[in-house]
Amino acid sequence: MSITIEGLRLTRGEATVLDGVDLTVDAGAVTAIVGPSGVGKTTLLRAVAGFAPPAAGRIRYGGTDLWAVEEHERLQLRRTVAMVPQDRSLFNTTVARNVAYGLGVRDGPLERLRMAVGGVQAADGLAQQVTDALALVQLSGMGDRAARTLSAGEAQRVAIARAMATDPAMLLMDEPTSNLDPQTTAVIEEAIMAAVRRGVGVVIATHDIHQAGRIADRVAVMIGETIIEEGPASAVLDDAASPAARRFLAGELPL
Amino acid sequence: MVGIAGCTTGDEGATDGMAEEPAQLTETIGDGELILATTTSTYDTGLLDAIVPTFESAFGMTVKMLPQGTGAAIETARNGDADVLLVHARSREDAFMQEGFGVNRRDMMFNDFVIVGPEADPAGIAGDDSAAGAFDTIAAAEATFVSRGDNSGTHTKELVVWDQATSAPAGRWYQEIGKGMGDTLAQASQTGAYTISDRGTYLSMQDEIDLEILVEGPLRGGPLVLKNPYGVMAVNPAVHEQVNYQAAMAFIGFCTAPDTQAAIDAYTANGSQLFFANAWAEPVDFAQYVPMGYSADAAARLTAEDREFLSWVDAKVPADY
Amino acid sequence: MDFGAVIGTGPETTRYVTSIILVSLQVSVTAVAISTVMGIPLALVTAFRRFPGRRLLTTVITTGMGFPSVVVGLVVLLLLSASGPLGTLQLAFTPRAMIISQTILALPVITAVSLSAVQAVDQAVRDAAFAVGATRRDVAVRTIAEARFGIITAVLAGFGRAISEVGSILIVGGNIVFTDGTSYTRTLTTAITVEARQGRYETGLILGAVLLAVVLVINALGAWVSARGGA
Repeated sequence: MSITIEGLRLTRGEATVLDGVDLTVDAGAVTAIVGPSGVGKTTLLRAVAGFAPPAAGRIRYGGTDLWAVEEHERLQLRRTVAMVPQDRSLFNTTVARNVAYGLGVRDGPLERLRMAVGGVQAADGLAQQVTDALALVQLSGMGDRAARTLSAGEAQRVAIARAMATDPAMLLMDEPTSNLDPQTTAVIEEAIMAAVRRGVGVVIATHDIHQAGRIADRVAVMIGETIIEEGPASAVLDDAASPAARRFLAGELPL
Repeated sequence: MVGIAGCTTGDEGATDGMAEEPAQLTETIGDGELILATTTSTYDTGLLDAIVPTFESAFGMTVKMLPQGTGAAIETARNGDADVLLVHARSREDAFMQEGFGVNRRDMMFNDFVIVGPEADPAGIAGDDSAAGAFDTIAAAEATFVSRGDNSGTHTKELVVWDQATSAPAGRWYQEIGKGMGDTLAQASQTGAYTISDRGTYLSMQDEIDLEILVEGPLRGGPLVLKNPYGVMAVNPAVHEQVNYQAAMAFIGFCTAPDTQAAIDAYTANGSQLFFANAWAEPVDFAQYVPMGYSADAAARLTAEDREFLSWVDAKVPADY
Repeated sequence: MDFGAVIGTGPETTRYVTSIILVSLQVSVTAVAISTVMGIPLALVTAFRRFPGRRLLTTVITTGMGFPSVVVGLVVLLLLSASGPLGTLQLAFTPRAMIISQTILALPVITAVSLSAVQAVDQAVRDAAFAVGATRRDVAVRTIAEARFGIITAVLAGFGRAISEVGSILIVGGNIVFTDGTSYTRTLTTAITVEARQGRYETGLILGAVLLAVVLVINALGAWVSARGGA
């Protein structure tokens, strides 16, 4: 499964927030999108996740144009992808119910009612998936904790578990470790690699170039609301073709 | 002849060709509900709670009593949201009839108003046999006077008296408070002010307030202007089809019936009689049925057009048409 | 009922007071229920959809919170009166008319406070729900769940506005009590006006204390629901 973005243009009011983006991301690999803050990385991820139709261009999930199909088919396509937003995205309930949420919305109303009233155990079969997802981010046994009581690192790991619980083909992550300590970062990067080994495709938006160097298979450099360079990680990071990319990667602000 | 002879014999049981059973009484009149618009002061005396249950069981009706300000009660009746109206503001009842909204008015009962004030009577109005005169004395002394100021029957009466007086109710001593009668008496008592009140409410509150009757009403020899007659009338079904006219008439009949009139006379509060029933008088008071000043002659006077039409009928239409 | 002896002891008084409490609760609880069902979706739409006149709608909602109850009562009576446009419904001076006027009063309160509550839900939370495969309706449900404390406050505020108001229900209800002492359209608040205008202040205060007790019970119920729903 791969996702292809062709000529994507997004506007907000008068301003252009994405200006002709082309990118292909594949399953079983990590693609890092790097660039300065505010350049549009979050917007790009949200567009890939299917939040709103673009002003121009196409988003293809394995060949199918996401916005050329009916609502219900688009929903099924969206459900092959899961996105983890940047920061503070947990629901005000237990860890287990957070993780089970994506599974719950795919269930019928009766099941969801059962879960709402009786907790995750009450809904058939979800408990095991929740346990597995928590194990992936090394938070086993934390199911009954209130999400509000978690540290930032734990919260981010639960958010990842929530996304992974739905068994997506593609995982989109927006700055997953930007405010976290090195140990937590390591745990999260390990979870990402475990997911990739299972065949999940991962797209990470990050401004941490070192992280890109550690885990990415491919790197796309985003400057000026578009992707100016894309290729295998080592090629882009060590020897970028475009001068603007080189300058950014070397640590200078782009002009 | 034969037929007549036949009818005078054998009067036991039904005869041929006549109905077997008496007409069945319907279980309810209309939808079984009577909506009575009345004033808060009338309602607050408790008289209606005493007599209405008798009406309800006699006629199998449920009565919904709407206690509102006089103006609001009349407006409710005018809009057709009530079936029967019981108020004590004769001039406004007359206008209601003139406008065609009310029919079949009957006198029901009366009492009177009294002018009350603190025992010390700073303005010195005690025993005045003129209500207007008493008001003038109060105005001249600039003694505090509390007015309901709410277009109620009491307020309407108060304004009639001010009309007769020479002074105007203006100045810091004259306070319009927009409250009900009991509330107004309580406030007058607390501030040592003068006010006008219906005798009934005053009597009911006598123990709790420090006010004395300084000018009596006509029930005890005081000036006639302080009379307080109550009238009951039906809302005109020609204007509002949906009103329960038959029930309204049953209620009016009930209120003016000898038994009920006796019950009204017998109704007391704190040991005093509150109302005097006056539906019947000898000779009959025809003025109660129509707006005051209504002239049957004037109404009967035909227009020129009508006279002309009648002359055509006389000339052209055969007698056995 | 004796003149001047409403609040005494005995079965008549108990029946009277019980019936006015029941009417108060029936009217206000129904009005709040209807307002909640209408107000929460309205709050969601106003918070999260862009449409022309959105800002105007928000202003209308918040203005509605302060609308004088007497005026609402007059307007509703004019509409429902036999002489009015909806006269054929025969709703004037009935409990249903009171429910209508109290719904008009409670709806802006519940909507405005709910609006504030759902707006406070982090966009990241809504995005997270959508991005693990929720439909827009699922996201709305999740938003309500996230805003539940604020929404409970909204409902309690709406209830407070309804149960304590007297201006509109006095006009549209007519303050009717049947001759057997049971209330048709008389509530605790309008019963207090009867006592007050007759100068029976103590009785009025007693009824006021009963009203306060009712409000306390409902708010305690709300607090219990809040606690149960926490995490």
